Amino acid sequence: MTAVLDPSVETAYPRYLHCLDEADENGAIDVALSLLDSGVPAERVLLSLVAPAQAQVGEWWQRNEWSVAQEHAATHVSERVIAAVATAVRARPTRERVVVACLDGEWHALPARLVAEVLRLDGWDVTFLGASVPSVHLVSYLHRHDPRAVLLACALPMRLPHAFRAIEACRRTDVPVLVGGRGFGSDGRWATKLGVAFARDARAASSVLATPAFDAAPAPVSLDDTEYAGLVATRVELIDLALERLDLKRYSPAQVDATVADLGYIVDSLAAAVYVDDASLFGEFVGWLLEVLDSRGVPLHTVGLTFDVMADRLRDFPRAHRFLRGAAPRPAA
Amino acid sequence: MNTADLEGSESGGRQVPVTATSDRRAAAPSAPRRTPPVASEPALVDNFREGVVVTDPTGVIREFSQPALTLMPGLVAGRTFAGCGVAPLTAGELTIGERRVRCRRVELTVAGATSIAWYVEDVTDAIARSDALLAERGRARFLATASQQLGNPLHEDRAARAAVRLAVPTLGDVAVVVLAPRRGRARWWRAGGGDGPTLVDGGVLSADDLPPAVAQALDGTEPSEADWLADQLAEAGWLGGRKPGAVAVRVVSLPGSAAPTGALVVVRDTDLDEHEVQMVRGFAARAGAALDAAVLYRDQAEVAETLQASLAPIEPPSVGGVQWGAAYRPAQSSLRIGGDFYGAHEQPDGGALFYLGDVSGKGVDAAVFTGQIRQGIQALRRIESDPARLLTLLNDSVLETSRAHGHGRFATMVLGRTHPTHGGGLSLTLASGGHLPPIVLRADGTVETVDLRGMLIGVVPDPRIATVTVQLAAGETCLLFSDGVTEARGGVRGEQFGFARLVAALEGCQRMPAPALAERIEQVIGDWLGGRNHDDIAVFAIRAVASGAPTRHLHAVPAP
Repeated sequence: MTAVLDPSVETAYPRYLHCLDEADENGAIDVALSLLDSGVPAERVLLSLVAPAQAQVGEWWQRNEWSVAQEHAATHVSERVIAAVATAVRARPTRERVVVACLDGEWHALPARLVAEVLRLDGWDVTFLGASVPSVHLVSYLHRHDPRAVLLACALPMRLPHAFRAIEACRRTDVPVLVGGRGFGSDGRWATKLGVAFARDARAASSVLATPAFDAAPAPVSLDDTEYAGLVATRVELIDLALERLDLKRYSPAQVDATVADLGYIVDSLAAAVYVDDASLFGEFVGWLLEVLDSRGVPLHTVGLTFDVMADRLRDFPRAHRFLRGAAPRPAA
Repeated sequence: MNTADLEGSESGGRQVPVTATSDRRAAAPSAPRRTPPVASEPALVDNFREGVVVTDPTGVIREFSQPALTLMPGLVAGRTFAGCGVAPLTAGELTIGERRVRCRRVELTVAGATSIAWYVEDVTDAIARSDALLAERGRARFLATASQQLGNPLHEDRAARAAVRLAVPTLGDVAVVVLAPRRGRARWWRAGGGDGPTLVDGGVLSADDLPPAVAQALDGTEPSEADWLADQLAEAGWLGGRKPGAVAVRVVSLPGSAAPTGALVVVRDTDLDEHEVQMVRGFAARAGAALDAAVLYRDQAEVAETLQASLAPIEPPSVGGVQWGAAYRPAQSSLRIGGDFYGAHEQPDGGALFYLGDVSGKGVDAAVFTGQIRQGIQALRRIESDPARLLTLLNDSVLETSRAHGHGRFATMVLGRTHPTHGGGLSLTLASGGHLPPIVLRADGTVETVDLRGMLIGVVPDPRIATVTVQLAAGETCLLFSDGVTEARGGVRGEQFGFARLVAALEGCQRMPAPALAERIEQVIGDWLGGRNHDDIAVFAIRAVASGAPTRHLHAVPAP
């Protein structure tokens, strides 16, 4: 996952990680720029140094080896490195304008930022609108500037229903939409389900953009969202039911907030899985959640308990009920 | 039942002598008719819409009515159909001459003798009417779809491209939209001219080089078809491989609110009939309206962007020993301006002046007021660099303006000054006019609240301004924020985020660069809100850093 494939970058990689660990912006920029100086192409610096390091940071956070504050600081440093590399190379646009944006509520901007910079190196005239771009702002930007296409990033599958709404809003401006990010599934299968063009990475995005009519005449998507709408309406009740069964008296206020947030993620992921009618969306989320909670010493039987409470309430929601039952964590042997 | 049926039945009702019949039959109203009615009542059958031909079982014609003769003029009693030079009848729809005819075959058995009655009805007009109705319905549907799709884009070029794409193939094989020239140059978009049928290409022409017919349409008059339209278009290169002699061309204006917004050219192999010309005009009206809206949007957006740029926060200047970090999320996300403001200025002595505040009210009005305040600070800092005295001067200025306009606006803010200290840290002199007290993040991770209150700016003359001095060692951060942060409503059922959660969110963040810290708070609040509406949110972080290292500021949502 985080293997560095490029030998020229290999020696720099540990130094770079060390800079991230120290939140040493200048040190990290020096590592990246000296690679450029020694002839390593900018794209390789971005994709073989910055990207794997950031994935490593994410893994450390997931395993609770890094605090969220450390992760934020490291992400900031990576952002600065990308900006420095872009400034050093100063790619001149030779192709049409494209807009790259993270959808509202999506704060993981770095992968999208990397895609934006690689596209820029590829000659596209890229505007990067940043993290969590409100749909209204995005749509008015598209109306104003008439780009070749808009690339929307979604990192979290639980945001898919919101993502789809934003995609439709963009399409109404008549600007072709291309999506990316793990939120659409590692293979983009949920993008396919929603009838929207998907690119796995920056290279793929560039070649899709070069295709004349990649977003022409989208097939009408028929999603049965009555169960989804029902779940959204039941959200608060589900969280309350789960909270009632947990022994909150033993939790600190911060732990209560974290628990409430986690319960919200569970319901949102369940709703997203129902939305695209795919149990694997919820299954993947639960796998991730268990790892995160386990590494933070949260007893996992509480998750099973929560699923039981929710499944009990959701007897009339066939898909949600089935997904909850299918994803319930098995007690460790 | 169609209109032909209605008309027929009407005329029949008037002409068939029903009263005469009842008169004649009055003596025996219930007596069954034993003989075919043809011979005895010729007037009656001659006025039926259907014609009748009666033959014997061998096909010899015995009788026929007037409408049947009109349809098949050769009919003669005593002969077969073939003998009269008429094609034999079959049940169902058939064509006789140029007429469409619906034919029924009925066997009549009277007193043991069988004869065959053919009922023939001329349905030519009915079919033509229903075809016309279907065509009309198709045109209406096309125009409805066009309205819907043309209304979507609010960009001139995109609307023009949508128009030509929609026009092919329904209106023509090639469609060109020429936009009204801007600064002497006219952009055009074409569909159907290239390789693929839906491929849209375009270009730019000098207004002087436009084909005369297009220039005429752009002036608002429709060029007549005789004006060598096809030749003009061939010269412009818009016909593709088509020969000017082999095509029919129409050029119409795209009407706008004042002058036409463009011209539509439609090229096809066959002439357009009156209905199709009407459809082209109807389409042009819709495309014109869409382009008009796009132009209006562009003009207004240009104005809004200019005003917005003058009101949006400005990137703080690079000042030695200071690292700035800011996050800003206005309540009205499409405008990206609001009632929160922040900023920093470098002072001649190498220090910096910085501030963050919040004005009463929301939206554009509030944003305009923040502009006045920022300009006030910008001007006053040249004559007064002490934060408390500067705030007092600002209060007088705001009060005077507010009284003059009678709008009763006020603001809260923290205004501070940095002085570098010997140990590589910063000394902050802070003054507050009724704003939320700042937070200091110490190097050891301690989160401190600065005790600083004061009175609102712009309410009373000579308000009480609170002041305090805060020492920051290198790596320590002072954080200013607006009430949009602590009053953000989220969680499960819309509780306020509150001060305690803000402090908790800052724990362990002492090593973060200032921009990352500001972003982190923005993100935590964003997650807390979970998509709910919020007030303006502003965060401004001032971090003491070892001098010399270049420090810059990062917006979460950069201006385009």
